[in-house]
Amino acid sequence: MSHFPHPDRFVNRHIGPNKHDLQEMLNFLNVKSLDELIYQTVPDTIRLDKPLNLPPAQSEYEYLAELKATAQLNRLVRSYIGMGYHGTITPSVILRNVFQNPGWYTQYTPYQAEIAQGRLESLLNFQTMVSDLTGLPIANASLLDEGTAAAEAMHMFFAEKNKRAKPGEEANEFFVADTVLPQTLDVLRTRALPQNLQLVTGDWREYVFSEKTFGVLLQYPDMHGAVEDYRAFVEKAKAHEVYVCVAADILSLALLKPPGEWGADVAVGNTQRFGVPMGFGGPHAAYFATTEDFKRQIPGRIIGVSVDRHGNRALRMALQTREQHIRREKATSNICTAQALLANIAAMYAVYHGPAGIRGIASRAHEMAKALAAALENAGRKIAAKHFFDTVRVEMPAGELAALRQKAEDAGINFFYDQTGVQINVDETVTEHDLAEIAGLFGAKSVAPVATSAVPAPLQRDTEYLTHPVFNSYHTESDMMRYIKRLENGICRSCTP
Amino acid sequence: MHSMISLGSCTMKLNAATQMIPVSWESWANIHPFAPASQTGGYQKIIRELEQYLCEITGFEACSLQPNSGAQGEYAGLMIIRAYHLARNEGHRNVSLIPSSAHGTNPASAVMAGMEVVVVACDERGNIDVADLRAKAEQHAQNLSCLMVTYPSTHGVFETSIKEICKIIHQYGGKVYMDGANMNAQVGLTSPAIIGADVCHLNLHKTFAIPHGGGGPGMGPICCNASLAPYLPKHVFAETGGAQGTNAVSAAPWGSASILLISYAYIKMLGGAGVTDATRYAILNANYIKARLEGAYQILYSGENGRSAHEMIVDLRPFKALVGAEDVAKRLMDYGFHAPTLSFPVAGTIMIEPTESESKAELDRFCDALLAIRQEIDEIAAGTYTHEDNVLHNAPHTIDVISADKWEYPYSREKAAFPLPYLRQGWKFWATVGRIDQAYGDRNLVCVCPPIEEYMHS
Repeated sequence: MSHFPHPDRFVNRHIGPNKHDLQEMLNFLNVKSLDELIYQTVPDTIRLDKPLNLPPAQSEYEYLAELKATAQLNRLVRSYIGMGYHGTITPSVILRNVFQNPGWYTQYTPYQAEIAQGRLESLLNFQTMVSDLTGLPIANASLLDEGTAAAEAMHMFFAEKNKRAKPGEEANEFFVADTVLPQTLDVLRTRALPQNLQLVTGDWREYVFSEKTFGVLLQYPDMHGAVEDYRAFVEKAKAHEVYVCVAADILSLALLKPPGEWGADVAVGNTQRFGVPMGFGGPHAAYFATTEDFKRQIPGRIIGVSVDRHGNRALRMALQTREQHIRREKATSNICTAQALLANIAAMYAVYHGPAGIRGIASRAHEMAKALAAALENAGRKIAAKHFFDTVRVEMPAGELAALRQKAEDAGINFFYDQTGVQINVDETVTEHDLAEIAGLFGAKSVAPVATSAVPAPLQRDTEYLTHPVFNSYHTESDMMRYIKRLENGICRSCTP
Repeated sequence: MHSMISLGSCTMKLNAATQMIPVSWESWANIHPFAPASQTGGYQKIIRELEQYLCEITGFEACSLQPNSGAQGEYAGLMIIRAYHLARNEGHRNVSLIPSSAHGTNPASAVMAGMEVVVVACDERGNIDVADLRAKAEQHAQNLSCLMVTYPSTHGVFETSIKEICKIIHQYGGKVYMDGANMNAQVGLTSPAIIGADVCHLNLHKTFAIPHGGGGPGMGPICCNASLAPYLPKHVFAETGGAQGTNAVSAAPWGSASILLISYAYIKMLGGAGVTDATRYAILNANYIKARLEGAYQILYSGENGRSAHEMIVDLRPFKALVGAEDVAKRLMDYGFHAPTLSFPVAGTIMIEPTESESKAELDRFCDALLAIRQEIDEIAAGTYTHEDNVLHNAPHTIDVISADKWEYPYSREKAAFPLPYLRQGWKFWATVGRIDQAYGDRNLVCVCPPIEEYMHS
């Protein structure tokens, strides 16, 4: 024990009643001590008979000092891994006023909508952003992650496809393209098992639909970064009355023809790269968008527009009767907690950048990836895909890969590796200096702009998005800061007459 | 943030700034989940230590930090129970007993895990009906997979029969899943292992100080005993989980790893005595509110000595001819408070959980508000105001209503908006819209920003 303990102890900051309060409250309860109250409350048959064996309490200052040292054990490197998680720039105005602001982060789920209109507006912005970018009319207010969002789509498809099927005669085969993110497949395997769903994985070009198939999952761009034209495949699926889910990179949809425009029934994905740090896996908001057909089956919370008793427009959580607290074992899913704070950050990112800004960020990543691919190709490297968005895959023999990996990690650079290649994901944080450094690792020299798009013409996006005024009004920091503050204060733009 | 949010079963405690700040540090924020283990020593240390702390607190052997929410934790827990039975060639065990008072996620998760739900009755005190439980366990003995039980119960009571309940389940070959939603009444005083559970989830966003974020993030790690540890979920990109672990339940190996820092800080800065004190004061605060409200309101259910655990249910059904529970919830907004949990687990009630973080002054303000509302109910009963036109029915009162030139209510503006003196001292906040019509919006579903033309009409 220290001879000079600091008088400021966190326990006194965390616990509300002070010594004086305690005495008054004990008197009011007619007990002599807190122990006596606890004895009256917790049955003696289950009482813990020894103190918890946890480390001694640290002061806030001591804790932060130690955590700084612990943080040094994480090595900050340049990450080009991708695979569903990307470097991103959290605009400082959002970092300070949303992410680090108790007015946003301490709040409860907006069941009491009359005092949560601002946060509801932000979630409605999220839904609008997702709906616009995916080209699908309905989106929910976020799910936990891309993997579980894909699993929710699988279950929703299964229920819809088999709603009139006799037990034992259900169509129960779900096809997952072998270019879907491995962590998504991992989650799907778990979720399929107890429901007796058959997961089939393989090359989507060779998949043979059967009468047992109820749904398929595709990745867009795929896990190797390739932008594939799935349109004919989706038509074939429709012809077999099979539902299609597309896991799509939200930023890519600023440039690519969105899944909703080529027949997807559901689009899911991670919105992390809209300003939410990677954080070693989360938290991030996944999105889930679908067609009108599924609007009453969609899992998770949905914000909807209604009216108040005075006839003013007002927002609140819609269709709550689908949810588990009402439907229990008949609920569409067990989702309760979602990722509201992170959905709000992603929505604010779209509000702040607007359609031109988002398109600009996506285009820059695409241009840089093209330039990098050309440089590596000029240096004799084999680029795997002709069509890509922001990820370049280089095919290499295993021996060369090991040497590259060693050299890269020594230089503080992470790529994604597998048996036959290496992938470089170009995100918003990448600089020209970074590109030159990457090129150098592959023995390539100069990195120069390339004129032609690496997205084939039929897959280039020609529809608008984020056209609503909310995405076109707050592009200076002052305007943005004030918009965030108004929403924090519960004022909803669309509700004020 | 303006005032206490006393949501029963949700544990809205302090989210301390020191716990929150490091989440934004780049050395935690900018780490890719699939970065090589050699680069993530800091995270590995936090994860290892937090797992140990949570095992110590629950009395269990092993922990998985992968599930991203309480409901995901339930699902993960049931999946490892399923794997346990399968490994013993008892894959036919698929019946999950669930008390009628359980949170709705329990049966929803059980169905997702391939189980058949059998509901167990509660007695008139709100406790699990042990005779019914025994009968159902016996009836389904061949196929019994597990019991899902919340402790203390969703009614906010430490049921004395809990050990017997768990014993019955074990006797018939089942496992006990404990829903950790009410763990804030257990830490340091008892534990899931002591009561006889085999696995539980912990809502880190309730008991362990992660903020609710307005509806997420959350974290629902599970802890379990040695019999279930081999089946904890693995991950395709990381070394984690049990030797015969299930596939992943989340996209990332340790779920929402960056916010684990918050719970880690909570435990490190409170220590063993501090986290136990948190529980003790949570119980103190709840019983103080209960004592202050008794007489004016009927408190449903309590333990054998008349005490509640860390939360209590206030029955509003006796007033249902005059006002509904929703009226009280909305009227609390006029008094500057967020409503407690409405109509769960009993319809027509509110459930209050103050947590340890609220001072006596804050608890008193909250009680004053509820007691004043009780008088307002009496005024309706006495005929001073009609059933259709009174402060409760018309709540919340917006600033537009209060400031309008036209005033058409039978009570004063002051009574509507500033019914108690504290509201003039900085505690007032305003609902920005009046009572919302839920059904209208569900009939006319619009869930994207309405087009600009709509604004012009409004």
